[in-house]
Amino acid sequence: MSDLLQTQSQTRSQETVTPILEIENLSISFFTRSREIPAVMDFSCTVMPGEAMGLVGESGCGKSTVALAVMRDLGKNGRIVGGRIRFKGRDITEMSERELRELRGSEIAMIYQEPMASLNPAMKIGAQLAEVPALHGGLSKADALARAREMVAAVKLPDPDRILDAYPHQLSGGQQQRIVIAMALMARPALLILDEPTTALDVTVEAGIVDLVRELAETQGTSMLFISHNLGLVMETCNRLCVMYSGEAVETGNVRRVFAGMRHPYTQALFRSIPLPGADKTARPLIAIPGNFPLPHERPPGCNFGPRCQYFQSGRCDAAEIPMHEVPGHDRHGTRCLRFEEIDWAAPPPAKETPPSPPPGEVVIRAENLKKYYESRGGGFGYGQRRIVKANEQIDFTAREGETLAIVGESGCGKSTLAKVLMGLETASEGSVILDNAAIERAPVEARGPGLVSKLQMVFQNPFDTLNPSMTVGAQIIRALEIFGVGTSDADRRERMLRLLDLVKLPRAFAERKPRQLSGGQKQRVGIARAFAGNARVVVADEPVSALDVSVQAAVTDLLMEIQRENRTTLLFISHDLSVVRYLSDRVLVMYLGHVVEIGTTDQVFQPPYHPYTEALLSAVPIADPKVEKTRIVLEGDIPSAVNPPPGCPFQTRCRWKAQVPGGLCETEVPPLRELAAGHRIKCHLPESQLATMQPVIRIAVE
Amino acid sequence: MDDLSWLQILTALAGRFAPVWIALVLTLAVSVWFRRRLGLYGRLFDSPIGLVGLVMLLFWVFTAIFADRVILFDPLSQIAQMKNKMPGTAIPTGIGHYLLGGDNLGRDVFSRMVMGARRVLIIAPAATAFAFMVGITLGLPAGYRGGRLDTVLSFIANLVLAFPVILLFYLLVTPEIRTTGLPIYLAGVLFLFPIVFLVLLWNSRFFMHRTRRAAYIGVTLVIGLWAWSGLALNADPLGVWSMDPNLLNVFVSVVFVNAPTVFRITRGLALDLATRDYVAAAQTRGEGPWYIMLWEILPNARGPLIVDFCLRIGYTTILLGTLGFFGLGVAPESPDWGSTINAGRKLLTIAPHPALVPAIALMSLVLALNLLADGLREESLRD
Repeated sequence: MSDLLQTQSQTRSQETVTPILEIENLSISFFTRSREIPAVMDFSCTVMPGEAMGLVGESGCGKSTVALAVMRDLGKNGRIVGGRIRFKGRDITEMSERELRELRGSEIAMIYQEPMASLNPAMKIGAQLAEVPALHGGLSKADALARAREMVAAVKLPDPDRILDAYPHQLSGGQQQRIVIAMALMARPALLILDEPTTALDVTVEAGIVDLVRELAETQGTSMLFISHNLGLVMETCNRLCVMYSGEAVETGNVRRVFAGMRHPYTQALFRSIPLPGADKTARPLIAIPGNFPLPHERPPGCNFGPRCQYFQSGRCDAAEIPMHEVPGHDRHGTRCLRFEEIDWAAPPPAKETPPSPPPGEVVIRAENLKKYYESRGGGFGYGQRRIVKANEQIDFTAREGETLAIVGESGCGKSTLAKVLMGLETASEGSVILDNAAIERAPVEARGPGLVSKLQMVFQNPFDTLNPSMTVGAQIIRALEIFGVGTSDADRRERMLRLLDLVKLPRAFAERKPRQLSGGQKQRVGIARAFAGNARVVVADEPVSALDVSVQAAVTDLLMEIQRENRTTLLFISHDLSVVRYLSDRVLVMYLGHVVEIGTTDQVFQPPYHPYTEALLSAVPIADPKVEKTRIVLEGDIPSAVNPPPGCPFQTRCRWKAQVPGGLCETEVPPLRELAAGHRIKCHLPESQLATMQPVIRIAVE
Repeated sequence: MDDLSWLQILTALAGRFAPVWIALVLTLAVSVWFRRRLGLYGRLFDSPIGLVGLVMLLFWVFTAIFADRVILFDPLSQIAQMKNKMPGTAIPTGIGHYLLGGDNLGRDVFSRMVMGARRVLIIAPAATAFAFMVGITLGLPAGYRGGRLDTVLSFIANLVLAFPVILLFYLLVTPEIRTTGLPIYLAGVLFLFPIVFLVLLWNSRFFMHRTRRAAYIGVTLVIGLWAWSGLALNADPLGVWSMDPNLLNVFVSVVFVNAPTVFRITRGLALDLATRDYVAAAQTRGEGPWYIMLWEILPNARGPLIVDFCLRIGYTTILLGTLGFFGLGVAPESPDWGSTINAGRKLLTIAPHPALVPAIALMSLVLALNLLADGLREESLRD
């Protein structure tokens, strides 16, 4: 503790400016009827004027609790049990309710994950925005509205007058989040707290918001506390970061310096478990962090990360509470690790034996000219105008045995509809899907029979929702075995169920547990076991890891690929996360508005020439590697509605290459899917000569 | 013998309830001991409100069970000298006291109240359970399938709900309507639902085990249809199952009135739960619609349904009291609380106790059920 105070007094003497936010040894606990649960322990950080501080960590690490403590909004059960929070030198922990009300919204503003939750759905945007200066600045109604209009223009929304007159539900998710940011900035706060502001948004929309946030920080000089679980995003938006683990700050410092030379085992493990460019499933596989996140009341003695740490030394690391140590030679870089000076941080991770994936075999599933239209009626009594939603416009692909085909696209591109048609939850409007020489596009799942159903299975996105909460894990797997007609007797099926639990590396005792006793990653493993219960030929995995924490993602991804390798299953991997896709897939299919816009091997898709949409998508993905240079391409506007798709090329409304195509062809004609190289096809009018000039979006700088 | 003072009355009352206290203490001790393994019921012991409700409810349940041991006199026997006597009055022949006084016919108010608990606690939960069977069996497909089925069923439910309840009861017990056999037909239809429900439940669960399915469905059909023939049609060949025609009327009306509300609750819950991934997972596994409704959706809708079940028993108890008050559907001498209150009403200024005792009993039972529902709701929302 004395070290810490010393380092802080040093930093204070170096800086003459008062920090905007200064948190000192903050401890927060939640009190339940039976016990006290410490959520944050001994947390310190300083945000200087104009600085953007990133707070990174997995869910449950206490990062949102810190943000709420700054707003003094911990609810009935939460209490600050120690430490101080100083805002511009004033102690927030000792303020009265009245003082706090004056502070909130005017000096400190907060932006939450769900934009719709922050907007009043019954009030027009203009009125909501004008409320802020009227409340905090005492402006007249007309002046307040004028300010609102200014602000809407500042967050780069087109046609501010129309937006001011709209209700929140009339705007898209990205536009709503821009309004929330505008609202937060209306009172010109000194500190802006952003709690996962882009998690609910698509990557290309996220890129726009990130740009906006960065620009606002520069022009308005607002300090920011940016909370995120995404390391890449923090690197793109912040100058400083603070990594949290299990209620403690474990490493803090300058973003680029920490990313280039981390000094805490948890930060290092986190980086090794995320797919950065250069990771490869056979040559450089991801390394999952072993074990599980400790529950708040089951934290180990000494270092919280100890039980999962590869550098752990018993007797030292678990002896006493570990204080923050200053890393010498760096600017305000601290780590909560005893051994940071002994560990060889540059040493490569221990090599892992991974057998190379076998070459893909026969074609297992083939879709040709697949179309899925939905009909919807506008009016309440069925007399309204008939509208057709073209969810899947034209889908062609093949997938071979033992191959991973990634299906990439943003929300609304039709990838979930495609999954539904494949699974038989919907039937195709036109075209064909052939699985092992049998046409299945018109067979709803009830008509498929257990043989076909068990051949084609699915892993769902949300681990908290894929298991029936009132049935034990074992019973759910046994039910899948029963319905697939696997096994001869109850005893045999029970044995098979236990073997499936072994396969997904869960203890056999889990068979008797209810889903709520499992963590997210464990639930997803059960979901995988269930999908593979009937020896599936094709498994459709709909964003299987996107809802999981970073350290768990790697383990689940690895498991999925291992089972796939052993069973030679075809994996259709639906995702919006291009880093994961690049890491694990053999071939990639990019979808936009119901069209396949590009398909090819992973190398072909991730190298130029790209389809213009793929190019934008690649550029939008935040990458947590200071060595990587990216070309920033921010798409204008939003994805058009599938009810009213643009004429011609589906991407033409947002394409930055449109001008290079002669004769306005893009606006009148849907481009054909043409072959550029063996197996690499794109749906674009751009001539060969133009495609050849495309530069790679992601470059790894040479050291 | 002398009359008893109030303190003596209370002591004597507490003594009469001895079997109830013993059963109550035993039940609570066992429950507290195993509460960590008892799920929602065990968690009830963490909620003060729920615990109070549970204790009060258990008191009435045990009173109903041990009614024969608790009562002092036959609830129907009359002693002429004891008409409208105050609580604690000694009986002239020296065989004891009327602890809570005598009513206008000289019957023991205490014994009548205790026997009345038995009637209320049999009819109200049973009628509510039947209403739930009907509401769930129709509400699940309406919510899950939707479409025209939903439109038709919801319309019918609204139609029933829009009809004044008391008027409906009066109609159903009118001799002209009874001679048409309408209550019997209604009972025939409504009492079939539990059988349909159970058959669907077993069939969807075991359709790939031929023998097990045949066994479960066979047993359900044999017992169910046997009971149905006795209860609904009064035509049990063995004469085991039967129901008093008056009681049948009340029972059918209560089920008929409660089922639409249960239908609407279930429909809403099914509508929400049908969008969950585990339902989609069951669909992609090739499960039939009834399996999904009964085994994937229904167990996860149990929280709100259990809470409503408790509230609805209370509501039904009041409804039965109201019906008894109007003299509908019960034997003239019946000790049930509603008709006792009605009988005591006329002499309220001279002797309030014959009406007051059953009124307090009714109130405390309904309060117990409401508190229990509150506690269950609070605990089921946790974690």
